[in-house]
Amino acid sequence: MNIRCARPSDLMNMQHCNLLCLPENYQMKYYFYHGLSWPQLSYVAEDEKGHIVGYVLAKMEDDGEDNRHGHITSLAVKRSHRRLGLAQKLMNQASLAMVECFQAKYVSLHVRKSNRAALNLYTNSLGFKILEIEPKYYADGEDAYSMMRDLSAFAADNKFETPSDNLEIKSESAIVSQC
Amino acid sequence: MPPSNSLPPKENALFKRILRCYEHKQYKNGLKFAKQILSNPKFSEHGETLAMKGLTLNCLGRKDEAYEYVRRGLRNDLKSPVCWHVYGLLQRSDKKYDEAIKCYRNALKWEKENIQILRDLSLLQIQMRDLEGYKDTRYQLFMLRPTQRASWIGFAMSYHLLGDFEMANSILDAFRTNQMKGPYDYEHSELLLYQNMVLAESGQYERALHHLQKFQSQILDKLSIKETSGEYYLKLKRYKEGETVYEDLLKRNPENVMYYQKLVEAKQLRDPDSIVAFYEVYKKEYPRAIAPRRLQLTEARMPCFEQLVDEYLRHGLHKGIPPLFVDMRSLYVDESKAETIEKLILQYMENLSNFGTFSSEPDEEKQPASALLWAYYFAAQHFDYKEDTDRALHYIEAAIEHTPTLIELFIVKGRIYKHAGDPVSAYKWLEEAQAMDTADRYVNSKCARYMLRAGHVKQAEEMCSKFTREGVPATENLNEMQCMWFQTEAAAAYQRSQQWGEALKKAHEVDRHFSEIMEDQFDFHSYCMRKMTLRSYVGLLRLEDVLRSHPFYFRCARVAIQVYLRLYAHPLQDVPQTTEPDTGQ
Repeated sequence: MNIRCARPSDLMNMQHCNLLCLPENYQMKYYFYHGLSWPQLSYVAEDEKGHIVGYVLAKMEDDGEDNRHGHITSLAVKRSHRRLGLAQKLMNQASLAMVECFQAKYVSLHVRKSNRAALNLYTNSLGFKILEIEPKYYADGEDAYSMMRDLSAFAADNKFETPSDNLEIKSESAIVSQC
Repeated sequence: MPPSNSLPPKENALFKRILRCYEHKQYKNGLKFAKQILSNPKFSEHGETLAMKGLTLNCLGRKDEAYEYVRRGLRNDLKSPVCWHVYGLLQRSDKKYDEAIKCYRNALKWEKENIQILRDLSLLQIQMRDLEGYKDTRYQLFMLRPTQRASWIGFAMSYHLLGDFEMANSILDAFRTNQMKGPYDYEHSELLLYQNMVLAESGQYERALHHLQKFQSQILDKLSIKETSGEYYLKLKRYKEGETVYEDLLKRNPENVMYYQKLVEAKQLRDPDSIVAFYEVYKKEYPRAIAPRRLQLTEARMPCFEQLVDEYLRHGLHKGIPPLFVDMRSLYVDESKAETIEKLILQYMENLSNFGTFSSEPDEEKQPASALLWAYYFAAQHFDYKEDTDRALHYIEAAIEHTPTLIELFIVKGRIYKHAGDPVSAYKWLEEAQAMDTADRYVNSKCARYMLRAGHVKQAEEMCSKFTREGVPATENLNEMQCMWFQTEAAAAYQRSQQWGEALKKAHEVDRHFSEIMEDQFDFHSYCMRKMTLRSYVGLLRLEDVLRSHPFYFRCARVAIQVYLRLYAHPLQDVPQTTEPDTGQ
């Protein structure tokens, strides 16, 4: 397994991975929009044949200078590649880039209320906090938890060392989620 | 009748309002103003007004009338740049880009320096990859609007795309020194990295490296600085410096396979033993990282391999990592490695079921009960890979008996049947798996794929519908979302069942997605110049240049070609005439 920043040529295969794994799908143009607006923020996990087995698709939201923050549009890991900690590693790489390139203060995401596995990953392994519930956020009427993670630890001097204690995967749970 | 191409002030004001309405998408109002002009018999044949009326109608979806009015307008005023421009826009909206380019060129004959037309022309030229034409147009735009940022960028890029790196670089240099006066922001950072890309593509790594170092402090994308400078150091054979860079990169991301490979190159390690020792260091340095442990297995040879793979397998089985086999599979190209793995896994299963430990040594720590399960699971996939169906089934049964609730087991069982050439049993086991977790789309997709392989297209659609939007047929939603794996598999399924029409329909749906993805570029031609994400933009252009080499396209094209050849060789019989008399209905 290899984790690296996504390139334009990965975007189609990310869409394919998304369609296999998640109920929220997007047309190619939306992937292009991400890849060409914030090329540093999306990451892929690929197997030895170069097939994408997981990805994070991320963007920046600029509501004012003091509120610069990243947002996770979509995060998926194929069921066949779970328990390798890929989601966590993808998220950390994307978060670091948000801080370095765009001075993000925090990163936000949405998760289905029923997606316990993903909720577990975000709270226990990645240090996200639930901000609020967004009623009927999803097309099928399900509520979402709106979550955020403070990124000031990434902005600290020793940027490369991700603060590992609270980042370690503590749960063995499956991790695939829609944000 | 000679066309009156200039309107008196009152009508001229109305005409201006039509233009404004068009820009603000107030098409109904636009038509109203057009009517006010055209209802005056003196101006009823006014070319530009007729053309604008047509363009407005086009936006309201009345395409036939649109063409009629635009053409009539143009006929009445062949020397009007507006009429030609409008005709170009109409063709463009119809995706007839070559025709549109001709129209814009005609428009420019009558008004050489119209910025808007030049811009529109340049977009079409880059879309059509008329790179020479693009360069000429960008040059004109540059001369006309030298103070605009986009003029410089487009001008430089046109040379870059033609492979004239020197010229592109000089323009970017001039632009930077004349225009950019800080503060240094993301866009500036991206511009510098783009310029660096141009230098690198010219093959002047020394110069590119120097450029990167000089502007390092103004570049925000630290990862790109490191990745590209590492690349340059290796190209320039400055290995020591390269080493430092890749060491740094690994600190940042110890799961990047390329960094290890480049570091091996920088350290000039060639013999396998020293590479194995190299990975040993990074296993210790990054104990949580998978990459160094796994890469070591690829390099290792007997007898060292046995000891390393033993460690690796035990770790995976102990922790219960489902992708363990998938992760090891590529080692099987080396037969001796595959044999070693088989020997070990057979030992584990034997010992785990007898003593609860991996080995028969009495003081070994007991493993959790799940270790045996994962060993069975591994063994099943191992023998499936070796096409030993009986043994594969034997171990997957053992696993299911051990833990009847694990979905992964049923997926593998299905796969074993698939590989054994029994697609029907295969999909039935996938159905079983799917029923165990209906909220997981991955299992759902797998199940649908297996149904398609078994020729059950309708059932597959129903399966997919559990995750498509309610209220619309699944196929419609899948098509809207460009779900090409489904359409490709469905095309092949229809082909197998000789439903030629349906097969072609699916193949053409996929083809349309590719056309759409080609179209998707259009907006980014101007967008990326504003955003300055020029490296990625060039990446997009290069992706689109070879878009149809994507495996999805290839597979669908093959189905379509085979079906067309078949229909050519064996034309369909005419539908038998009904014997009943034609009632004229």
